[in-house]
This record gives sequence, structure tokens and C-alpha cells, in this order.
Amino acid sequence: MRRKLMLPIAALAALALGLGACGGDGGGGTKEGTGTITIFSLWGGSEQEAFQKVLTQFTKDTGIKTKYESARDFLPVIRTRLAADNPPQMAIIPRPGFVAELAKDDVLISLEDLGLDADKINEQYSDTWTNLTTVDDTVYGVVAKANSKSTVWYKPNSFQQNNFQVPTTWNDLVNITKQYKAKGKTPWAAGAQGDENSWTLTDWFEQIYARQAGPDKYKQLFETGEVKFNDPSVKAAIDEMVKIVNDQYMAGGIDTVLGISFVDSIGRVFGKNPKAEMLYEGGFVGGIAINQVNPGLKPGTDIDFFKFPSISEQVDVVGGGDVAAAFVNNEDVAKLMEYLSTPEAGEIWVSTGAIASPNESVPESAYPNELVKKEARQLKEAKSFLFDGSDLLPGTLGQNFGTLLQNIVKNPGDKDKLLDDYQAQAEQAGFGSA
Amino acid sequence: MSVAAETLARPRATPAERLSRFVARTPVHIALLAIAVVWLVPTAGLAITSIRPRDEIQATGWWTSFNDFAFTLHNYDLVLDNAQMGSSFVNSIIITVPSTLLPLTIGAMAAYAFSWIRFPFRDTIFLLIVALMVVPIQMALVPLLRLFRDLGLNDWYLGIWLAHTAFGLPLAVFLLRNFFITLPRDLIEAARVDGASNLRIFARVVLPLSVPALASYGIFQFLWVWNDLLMALVFISDSDLFPMTKRITEMQGTYGAEYHLLASGAFLLMIVPLIVFFALQRYFVQGLLAGSVK
Amino acid sequence: MSSQPVPGPVGRPRGRRLPAIFRYEGWQGLIFIAPAVVLLGGLVAYPLVWTIVYSFGDTNSKLDIVRWVGLDNYERLFTKDKVFLDRDVFPPDGALVNNLKWGVLYTTFSLAFGLLIAILAARVRYESLVKAVIFVPMAIAATAIAIIWKLVYEPDPDLGVANAVATGVFNTDPIVFLGRADTVNYAIIFAYVWASTGFAMVVLSAALKGIPEEIIEAARTDGANEWNIFRRIQFPLLSLPMAVVTVWLTINVIKLFDVIYVMTRGGPGTSSEVIATQMYDETFLNGEGGYGAAIAVVMLLLILPLMAYNVSRFRTERVVT
Repeated sequence: MRRKLMLPIAALAALALGLGACGGDGGGGTKEGTGTITIFSLWGGSEQEAFQKVLTQFTKDTGIKTKYESARDFLPVIRTRLAADNPPQMAIIPRPGFVAELAKDDVLISLEDLGLDADKINEQYSDTWTNLTTVDDTVYGVVAKANSKSTVWYKPNSFQQNNFQVPTTWNDLVNITKQYKAKGKTPWAAGAQGDENSWTLTDWFEQIYARQAGPDKYKQLFETGEVKFNDPSVKAAIDEMVKIVNDQYMAGGIDTVLGISFVDSIGRVFGKNPKAEMLYEGGFVGGIAINQVNPGLKPGTDIDFFKFPSISEQVDVVGGGDVAAAFVNNEDVAKLMEYLSTPEAGEIWVSTGAIASPNESVPESAYPNELVKKEARQLKEAKSFLFDGSDLLPGTLGQNFGTLLQNIVKNPGDKDKLLDDYQAQAEQAGFGSA
Repeated sequence: MSVAAETLARPRATPAERLSRFVARTPVHIALLAIAVVWLVPTAGLAITSIRPRDEIQATGWWTSFNDFAFTLHNYDLVLDNAQMGSSFVNSIIITVPSTLLPLTIGAMAAYAFSWIRFPFRDTIFLLIVALMVVPIQMALVPLLRLFRDLGLNDWYLGIWLAHTAFGLPLAVFLLRNFFITLPRDLIEAARVDGASNLRIFARVVLPLSVPALASYGIFQFLWVWNDLLMALVFISDSDLFPMTKRITEMQGTYGAEYHLLASGAFLLMIVPLIVFFALQRYFVQGLLAGSVK
Repeated sequence: MSSQPVPGPVGRPRGRRLPAIFRYEGWQGLIFIAPAVVLLGGLVAYPLVWTIVYSFGDTNSKLDIVRWVGLDNYERLFTKDKVFLDRDVFPPDGALVNNLKWGVLYTTFSLAFGLLIAILAARVRYESLVKAVIFVPMAIAATAIAIIWKLVYEPDPDLGVANAVATGVFNTDPIVFLGRADTVNYAIIFAYVWASTGFAMVVLSAALKGIPEEIIEAARTDGANEWNIFRRIQFPLLSLPMAVVTVWLTINVIKLFDVIYVMTRGGPGTSSEVIATQMYDETFLNGEGGYGAAIAVVMLLLILPLMAYNVSRFRTERVVT
């Protein structure tokens, strides 16, 4: 009896002794694949289904299975998995600022290490996109998906009924907002609840700041830190922003904006029981609205977008992109990485209507409806493209910028103090001091 | 029970007396009714929402649904299948059962020793274990994650089993020891005189007599693990292994306030604890009282 | 069990087969507790020490310590981090202050409702039914409680019952309970009081029933009215169970995570952030493992007095039994 008891105890003791043991990445080259690739991103719902089609084709072509995993809470999950030494083999990273951080922490596998020809892959993309994947001259992935975020979503039939013209200037847009309100309608909806959705407010700010302060200042604010966050230009942009993002014009007021998610805000404009007329967010709104929120929508009559109207400076597109990167070095991963950069993969993906492809060889005919076609065109023809600034901010500053704007739209009067605080935070983090 | 005792003890009241007593207690009845409504409405709202079609949920409040009476189980279909709550249900069971049985066994062994075997530093060690009862899991999250990484336990359930076991142990030892010491000493000494080993006394004498205490703790730990979100967030990374709590938060992130999915998902999450709770309420309350008032 | 010399077995026929070392009873005791001690040592105590060590460092994205910073994390936490403690406004604000609000309001209301219901329910025949209704939320996961109450608080009066009442009965505009800094904490606290009242009720109800009927009858005969009986007899006898419930609820508050994580993620802004949610965000969202560890240490320090109370209660109890 007692001997039997000793066995589990011995096992536990062994476990305890193992505490000191240490794991580590054995460098080495590209290993043979395991036959299954785990790939991780933040897309669920219709966006996930769209990407799944690309993966299915990949499996058909190569026989390598894929397992797609997702979490809206991308950052916490990926960090937890890295700390657990259980990262997915690949991930599609929504924040290029994070790509740089991961590359510096030495957890990403470069294209070169995967045995891929980075130059050849990059030939298919413009510099805007390849810059995102390059850290200290090493290429760490491919931009899998591009978004224009300079898209304002509206209802063409509602515009027609009210005799509104598509606005080309910021003042026009503010006027339409006022007229909707005067007619007893709620002009706007937005969803910026919690850490997960505050990016919708940073997007609002970036569109306005880029067009009011201009591209140079935009880069100095978000990339180099030369322009401080309590600069008058920032305050001016916030003053413009709260002309629309306020209690009066947002469905349910600012409280609701801060109380609902991004997906819910789409429902408030394009759902079956709509409460508002317009929504500002990126090109992906169309795909989610049509594929998930309300499949009855007719593109062009029920839903469409116009380019974010200009203010004083010439900026075509402020947008974002998601980077496919590898955490594990094996042949299967290399194959999928290469496949994601091909026009064939791009064609399948764009045919779902969920995304625009940054790959210049993907033909326009591959896009299923006018909405995504328009978005792809906007991206391709953009003479000036700025990248989503808060996604480029290092470390916690990106996330905290969202929180900052949540606080500002709630109490615009406090903006000076809030911006001073944020600037102090940025300086403490060493941003802009170089 | 006490209600019955009360009515028996009192002399039979005349109808008039009973009526006047009832009237005198009317404010009590009203207050209790109001309280019961406040306590029932939120859960009822969720339950009803979970069986209403999506269009109806978005158009009218659940409290109007008795007028049109359009109910469906389609939401459960969706959430079990497409939203993977079905497999998460299984995962929740796989996580919970060992995470309950392990601390129960290990804790009962230790509790037996703390009650009936003499060994050095017995009381000191016991006090230390009681002290660990309130250490927040947050104090261990990152080091545990790294420990499991070094031991290679992060890609399956082993890590979360061990973590739940360790954090469930102090309560197990405390609760069970408090029960074990109330067992009659004669019984145990008689067994010793008969030559029974400690293991035998533990397994054949103490455990069978302690079913209520074991059940109390078992229910506690079961509910605790089943309902846990934080450990699942940190120690379960593979989406095929997600328990229901983690799956629901993920659903919320993807679909927003799509209550046809959230409500039916949340209801599925609640159903097992509710069954356990109603079936074993007696033990649950006993355990609660033992753990808190004793 | 004050002192119970358990005579060790001597000269048993079974004992002969065992090595001498096992015949010493102390070893058997140690073997019995070994699995528990190893698990608690390896998976609770050892990580606990490491978390304290972590709190003096900074980590990279794999949560490895990359440099030591001394007390910087703590200094930042208490002087510079307005999410944790904002002393620039009056009254102060931040996660720590939110926990304090929780500690006061959640504990008080759970106790008060629990006591009220225990007393009222004892006077009616359907006592067990009422108690079951109040107690059921105890079994429900905080995740589900969060979803239940999110639905109650939905801003749309055609979806959330709270706003249906607010707009329909009180004729107000819809209130975005979870989107307003001035309502969000109270809204979540109420939801959690709803969930915890059952616990207070069960403990206090049992304690009330434990009071011998004779004492109360004697007081009645002496002409005491119901209020005086409650105030002078029942309430004093309830002080220990109430203290126990208070400690339990307070520990709950310090560990509070799930319900806020699911309901608001600490929002709007950081209005509903508490220590545990901030610890999670700093560690796993921002990758600041050292800073998160410092927050966890603060949690532990807050819990220590409660731990001391638990242990001392246990000690006095031993003297009693």
C-alpha cells in the first residue's frame, strides 16, 4: 500500500525539481514542417470565414493542413502565448508597431531565415507596405491585407431622399451632419468601448489630424515624436473632431459611443433596426456589414462609402495593414508565408469582399462588388498614404492613446490637461527624446 | 424544516387569527415579492432572450415576447455549432473534473494527517496552508506560466489542472480537517488497535464517514473551476481547448452585442452549475457555513 | 482537538514488513501531506516569491526580465500612474480608489440585503423558496452574470430592461449605465451585489436560527418589542458571522476580475478599472510583466490583514474547541 503511494509522490517531487530547468529557442535553420500550421489573428466572424477560404486553397494546393485561431484581444493573447513558449506558428499582426517590438525581442523569424527571397516578394508591393515589414533592414513578413481607413460609410438612398451631395470638404460633412439633425435624424454612430474598441476614436483623430496639420506633422507626431501631443495642432484637430463626435450627433450620445463595441456601431447604422445614418471606419466595415450584420444590404443603395473629406492639407489615404509574420521556422510556414504573398491568394481573399489586397498584381476584376473595388482603387491610386499613427506608437502608448481620446470626447473641456498628461507619459517612455 | 417546526409548535389558530396574522405581515409579503422580482428578472430576461429569434431581439424587448410568442431553439444550434460552444462545453468538463478530484484527494490526505497523525511542525504547516488560502492567483500568473513553459505543460490541460489544484488545496485542507477532527476518536483508535495502517484508516474509516464534507468541497471547487475565467485566459491558449467562459468572452469580442448568441451561450454556461447546485444544495450550504462561520 | 496524543501502533504484525523508518509515525504524516505541500510550495509559494522578485524589474514581450529597476515600478504606480491612483482630482480616482468604493458599497449592500432578506424570509411559510431565488446567482459564473447584466443595462430601451423602466416609468432619456464614468461603477457593483447577497443571506440566516428560541421568548415576556429584540439580542449575536462575511466579501473585492473584464474591460476610458483588471492589462496587454507584478504585490499586501484575521480566527477557535 505504502509503496503505491510513493509513486505519485515521486512524480510530484520530480516535478518540483524540474522547476529550475530552462527552455529556450534552439536557433538552427528551417526545419521540416509538422504537417499542420497554426495561424493566429484577430478576425472572427465573417472576416475569419473570408481568410479561411485562402487557407483552404493553400491546403488543397500543398496538402499542408492549417489551423486558424483568433482572438479579438490580439495583444494579450499573443503575449501570453509567447511567455508560455507556445506561440502560434504564424500570426497576422494588426499593429506594425508591435512587429518592430517583437523583432527586437528576437521572437520573429525573418523571411531570409525562412529561406525566402525577400526582395522578390517585396517587388509586388509598394514601399508603403514593405516599410511596415522591415525592421533594421531585415524583412520579417508580408503585408497580408491592406485597409483604407479614409472611408466614411453612408446610405446612398438616405442621401438621395434628403438631397445630400457626397461631401468633399470637412465643412460639407459637418453641414450634412447638422441637416440630418435638423430633420430629426441621428447623423452618426460609433463604438469605442473599453481597450478593445478605442481604436475607432484614434482613427477619427488621425484622419482629421493628417488633413489639417499635414503629412509632415503627422509623421512627426506619431513616428518621431518631434511634435508634442500637447501641440496646438493636436488641439485644433480635437476641436474639429468633437464637432461631430459629440453628444448631439452620435446615436445615444458619447455615453453610448463609449458603451458599445465597434461591431455594434455597424448594427446601429446598417442593421435591420437602424438608429443612425453614417459611420466612420475603415474599408472592412462593408464586409462585416454585408457578410455578418445584415446580409440583406444592397451595395450602392443601402450602403456605400465616400472618401474622408479634405480639410486644408492634401492627403489621400490614411490606412492600415496587417502583417503576416512567423514565430516558428519550418518549411510549411515558409510555404504559407510565400503563398500569402502571391496574387493567387490575394485573388481568393479579395473575392470574399472582406479586404483589399496590397499586392499590386491582384486584378480589379477579382473584387466581388463595387465597394471593395472602390477601396482597392483608393489604395492603389493614393498619391499620398499615411499609416495608422497610433498603431505605430511604441509600447503602451498606442493603447493609451485610445484611452486618452475616450477621456477627451467625454470631457472636451479637459483636453489641455489630458494632453499634457499624455505627453508626460510619452516622454517618460522615451518617445521623441532621441 | 423550521417552518414546519414553527407551525407544529403553535396551537392551531382560528381562521380569523390566521387572517389577521397574514394581514399584519402584508408588508413583509410585498417586500419579499419585490425582492424576488428584482432577483428573478435579470436571469429570466437572459433565458427568454436566448430563445427569441435574432430579428425579434433587435426589434423589441424580451418582456413583450409573450404577445407574439415567437420562440426558437435556433440560437442554441448556432452557438453550439458555429460558435463552438459545443466543444467548449466538453472542454469545460475536461478541465473541471480533474481540477476537482485532484485537490479533493490530495487535500483529504493532508487533512487526515493534520487531524489524526502526529508529526513535527504539524500545526505550523497547517497554519501556513490556511494562510495561503487567500493568496490571489495574480501573484502566481506569470511565474506559473514560465514554470509550465519550462516543464512543457502549456500546450494542453496539464498546466491548468495543476494550477487549479494548487489554488484549491488550502480550502480543501482547511475544510476537510475541520470536519475530520470532529469524527469520534474512539473509532479511529479502535481501528489502530486492530492494526489498520493510516492509509487504511483514511480510506476505510475516515473517507466513508466524511461524504458530506467531501461533497461540500467538491461542489465548491467544481463551481469555482467551471466558472473561472482568469486562469483559462492565461493557461489555455489553443482555441480548440477553450472552456466556455473564455469562448463567450471571445464571442462577445467578435460579434458585439449579438444577444441571440451571447444569451444562449451564457445560458449553456450556467446550466451545469445550476443542476449541480439544485441537486446538491444541502451540501453546498453546509460547506459554505462550515467554511465561513465555523 | 486541543491536544490529542494519538498513540502510535506498536508491534503490529503488518508493521514487520515495513522498513524501520516507516514505523516512526511522523514520517507517515509527512508522506500524507507531501503531495499537498509540494504542490503548494511549487505552484503557489514559489511563484509568489518570483512575482515579488519580478516587481523590481522590467520585462520584454516574452515576459522575461531584461533589467532591474529597483523600486521604480512602485514609485510609478503610486505617484505617476493616474489609471491606478489619480491624486490630482478630488476626491482621488483610479483603480485603487475603485476597489475602495467596491469594498465599501458592495460589502455593505450585500450584507444589508442579506440580513434583511434573512429576517423577512424567516417570517413567511415560503422561506426556502425565497432563499433559493436569492441564492441561485451564487452558482452562476461571473462571466454569465456579466452577460445577464449587460443585457439589463443595454442603452436601447427595447433591449435593456433597466432603460425600459427608466424611459417608460420615470420618463427619462435612456441612461448608458456602462458608458458613463459617473454610473459605471455603481452599475457593476449593483450587479455583483445581486450575485453575492445570497451568500450573506445564507450565513446570517443560519446564525439567526442558531440563536436559542428561549432567549427571544424570555425577552418577549419581558415586554421587548421586535425592534428591540433585533437590536439588543439578535444583532449583537450576529456580529461574528457578519465579520466573517465581511472578510469574505472584501477578499472577493480585491480579487475582483471576471465581471469587469467581461462587462466593460475597465471602460469607459479607465473609469471602471480595478486592481486586478489593471494587473492583467499591464502584464498581458502592455507586456509590462514587472509593472504588473508590482500591482499583484499591492493586491497581496491588501489581502494580508485579512489573511492575518483568518489565521488568528482559526487559532482562537482551536482554544475554544
